[in-house]
Amino acid sequence: MLTRLKGGRIYDPENGIDGEVRDLYLRNGRIVEAPADPREAKEVIDISGRVVMSGAIDIHTHIGGGKVNIGRMMLPEDHAKDLVGANRHPHLGCGHAAPSTRTAGYRYAEMGYVACFEPAMLAGNARQTHMELADTPMVDKGAYVLLGNDDYLLRALAAKRDAEFLRDYVAWTLNASQALAIKVVNPGGINAFKFNQRKLDLDEKNAGYGITPRQILTALADSVRALGLAHPLHVHGCNLGVPGNVETTLDTIRGLEGLRAHLTHVQFHSYGTEGDQKFSSGAARIAEAVNAAPNVSLDVGQIMFGRTITESGDSMRQYAGSAYADPKKWVGMDIECEAGCGVVPFRYKDRNFVNALQWAIGLEMFLLIDDPWRIFLTTDHPNGAPFTSYPHLIRLLMDGSFRRDMLATINPEAQAATTLGAIDREYSLYEIAIMTRAAPARSLGLKGFGSLAPGARAHITVYKDQANREKMFAKPDYVFKDGQLIVRNGRVVEEVHGATHVVHPDYDSAIERELDTYFDRYMTVRKDNLRVTDDEVRDDGRGELVVHPTKRST
Amino acid sequence: MPSLTVSKGSTDKPAPSSAVCPFCALLCDDLGLNQRPDASFTVARHGCSRAAAGYARAPLASEALIGGRSVPLDEAIGVAATLLKRARQPLFGGLATDVDGIRACVNLAERCSAVLDHVHGDALASMSRMLQARGWYATTLSEVRNRADLVVVIDVDVSQRYENFKRRCLDARPAPGNAPGKGREVVFIGAGKRAPEALAADTTLSCRSENLVEVLLALLATLRGQRLAARRPAGAAAGALADLAAKLREARYTTFVFTPAALAEHREPAMAAIGDLVDELNRTTRAAMLALGGDDGGQSAVNTCAWLSGFPLRVGFGQTLQYEPQAFATRALLDSGAIDALLWIDAFGEQATPPPDAPLDRTVMLASSRPSVAAQCGVFIPVGTPGLDHFARLVRTDSVVTLPLAQQRDSGLPSVAGVLTRILEKY
Repeated sequence: MLTRLKGGRIYDPENGIDGEVRDLYLRNGRIVEAPADPREAKEVIDISGRVVMSGAIDIHTHIGGGKVNIGRMMLPEDHAKDLVGANRHPHLGCGHAAPSTRTAGYRYAEMGYVACFEPAMLAGNARQTHMELADTPMVDKGAYVLLGNDDYLLRALAAKRDAEFLRDYVAWTLNASQALAIKVVNPGGINAFKFNQRKLDLDEKNAGYGITPRQILTALADSVRALGLAHPLHVHGCNLGVPGNVETTLDTIRGLEGLRAHLTHVQFHSYGTEGDQKFSSGAARIAEAVNAAPNVSLDVGQIMFGRTITESGDSMRQYAGSAYADPKKWVGMDIECEAGCGVVPFRYKDRNFVNALQWAIGLEMFLLIDDPWRIFLTTDHPNGAPFTSYPHLIRLLMDGSFRRDMLATINPEAQAATTLGAIDREYSLYEIAIMTRAAPARSLGLKGFGSLAPGARAHITVYKDQANREKMFAKPDYVFKDGQLIVRNGRVVEEVHGATHVVHPDYDSAIERELDTYFDRYMTVRKDNLRVTDDEVRDDGRGELVVHPTKRST
Repeated sequence: MPSLTVSKGSTDKPAPSSAVCPFCALLCDDLGLNQRPDASFTVARHGCSRAAAGYARAPLASEALIGGRSVPLDEAIGVAATLLKRARQPLFGGLATDVDGIRACVNLAERCSAVLDHVHGDALASMSRMLQARGWYATTLSEVRNRADLVVVIDVDVSQRYENFKRRCLDARPAPGNAPGKGREVVFIGAGKRAPEALAADTTLSCRSENLVEVLLALLATLRGQRLAARRPAGAAAGALADLAAKLREARYTTFVFTPAALAEHREPAMAAIGDLVDELNRTTRAAMLALGGDDGGQSAVNTCAWLSGFPLRVGFGQTLQYEPQAFATRALLDSGAIDALLWIDAFGEQATPPPDAPLDRTVMLASSRPSVAAQCGVFIPVGTPGLDHFARLVRTDSVVTLPLAQQRDSGLPSVAGVLTRILEKY
């Protein structure tokens, strides 16, 4: 059936369309050319005056896997304040900071999102991660698998194995874990924490292997380039949260020497040591470096005031952060000679100097980086704030007077320490559409996403144009996924299951034999039992597998 | 949509040569099996007594019962749906099944407003309480195998409950790093002689089980350099405590291993003391804990229930979710008479008999073995064993690794998920 969405104002940056009034036609889950006679459309939905964008994409949100589930189990008190009843969603659920899988899917859809990416999957935990993602309805999804703290890679680097071998290992890991991209977290630092190192700078050697974070970053970024993955190496850098880490981040950008990388939750990596409290904003310096480095993209990891939980693979830094747990409980783990995790409940307070300045630093970053194609809107859910705060964040970016009003309410010393009040920039709807749609689709290589051109998947969000952008983005009038109306007036009307996006680059099968030997000697699971099969991802119809091309796929 | 490509290896089935054992939460994945004429198995390689017993059970005849009368499966499913539909407050207990079984439980529980608890619910709830009250620093099997130069086993005969733990995590210490240093020392704290002998413990700090918490706290105080008022706290010599404290300080990576279920009534204070010991050591060196438990699908049940509902079992489904970690214990619900129907699930064959005062005439039993009470149950439906009769996924004791369990025989028995989904369709 042909459906006509009539008279909407279209924001489609992928195709250079900035607020033009046009009709959209949908058929069989795709956007199609306008027919010669508009009356061919059997269904006409009048959306005159409304704002139309493609479905939104969250490039970095912790929605599935072991540490997310620890967060859920830890926070019954948080869930109790946010129970989702049978009259609200197709299935029961709960949770504001650590929502149940189904609730997360419904709420993302109700904000106009059609795809969400879990950025920190462990190969050893990939099966569980995919089962959780399969139980996250409404949205498409995918995951980035962690490398760079696994003893196998560090051993290979210490043995000076060649680039070809590393590429094979990276490719094997992507296949085995059914991942879309590679992420590195505190390169070598999580492993170093197991050898009782408490910090690891970019050029400091890991005690177990004599390898530096810089070596790991370069090796992985080069492997990702050689494999031809759409998404560059996803980097959670060294020294997260440490005052002075702006220097580390600038060094990291320089150290890439032109290799592509995505720096994630950069707000947490942009701190200086100026001022009475030895904590200051490094946002301007990072923005300057990023503006001059076209090989680098980033997401912000904006914080919002209130309660949340921080869930990270960075056991080293989470151990340090556990002193500030609120309430006083936290979980740390060393995991399978591969990774670690730290789960720490936290409350960001607007009256606290450091928290208030973190809030300002994130906003400075958004406003000082020129190119919206290289900066994505995230709160590093739930680490900076739950994803449900995105509409509020969009208002802060689009509405300068609202932003200044909010600035006036935070810790006065933080107000004095930020340049935020002097920045007039306001994001346009077109720029919001870039950073939440077109740019993440391009960065992840999601063909057919982030576009409203004929041939694109019919992922469409229709908003009432309201001066209060928070209200506007919190509750779209219509959300279509693959042409199907799934949300009406901000409420789920149809439950659907999304697909999982992966890459399957080829590798030399010789590495399988070497890995078999390694696993049999060192690990407590056999190599082949880590592998998540295609059928498992499809999971009896809960999911669908979309395999994206790489330079190395046959 | 991008074109689908297939790369080599992406559709491999789990290795058929070695089986993954579903009979405890270690999920050993290197067992060698030989099938016998009755479709049961002998374990030829890397077995243990629990694996031997589990694999030795032949599959049940696919005969469902209604009040002891043999009926076709369809009829049993219909009666089960009616029985659950008529109930005001059903309990889904046992829950000894795989991830898909729990997924199906949650979906059915939403329809019949049921409460979920596991047969090992008390021990699992203690772990959840610890998580929610203080948290912990934990580790996993491969980390222990490689990293731990000191393993302190707390008052449980690991060699009896988890025979293969010693082989997989204590015997070898391959240590992939270039600074492995010395080998591994094993310390046992607790009661009995058999355990330290079976573990080949290098050092034993003997105490009666009821004194365990006192000994752990005295060790903690010694570690912190605090003076002990008692000369022999709980019978332990101050010198022995000081020696052990020194060992802990010197070790590079200590792991405290315990089994929540075995700690019985001292469980929660003992676990808190272990958590404190780990935290104290992590100030200067490295340490972590490893809880062995969650057998009979317990770890899978907790995790799956948590991601689907947000809560780790003992959750009730109604207009909203209700989490009552004490009131929704199986024992408490049976004692209070709040339960008017029971869905009892045991797909592993060890926990098939429901608690003694369960309302058998209003019980739907799904089990892979047939206890004598099966004939008294409202409905009895035989099911397959995960990883023997059907493909399954189970979460390991450390809650990190989830193993795929390939089907090993073609018994035709349905899975728990399959039966519950059909009950839901009839509901």
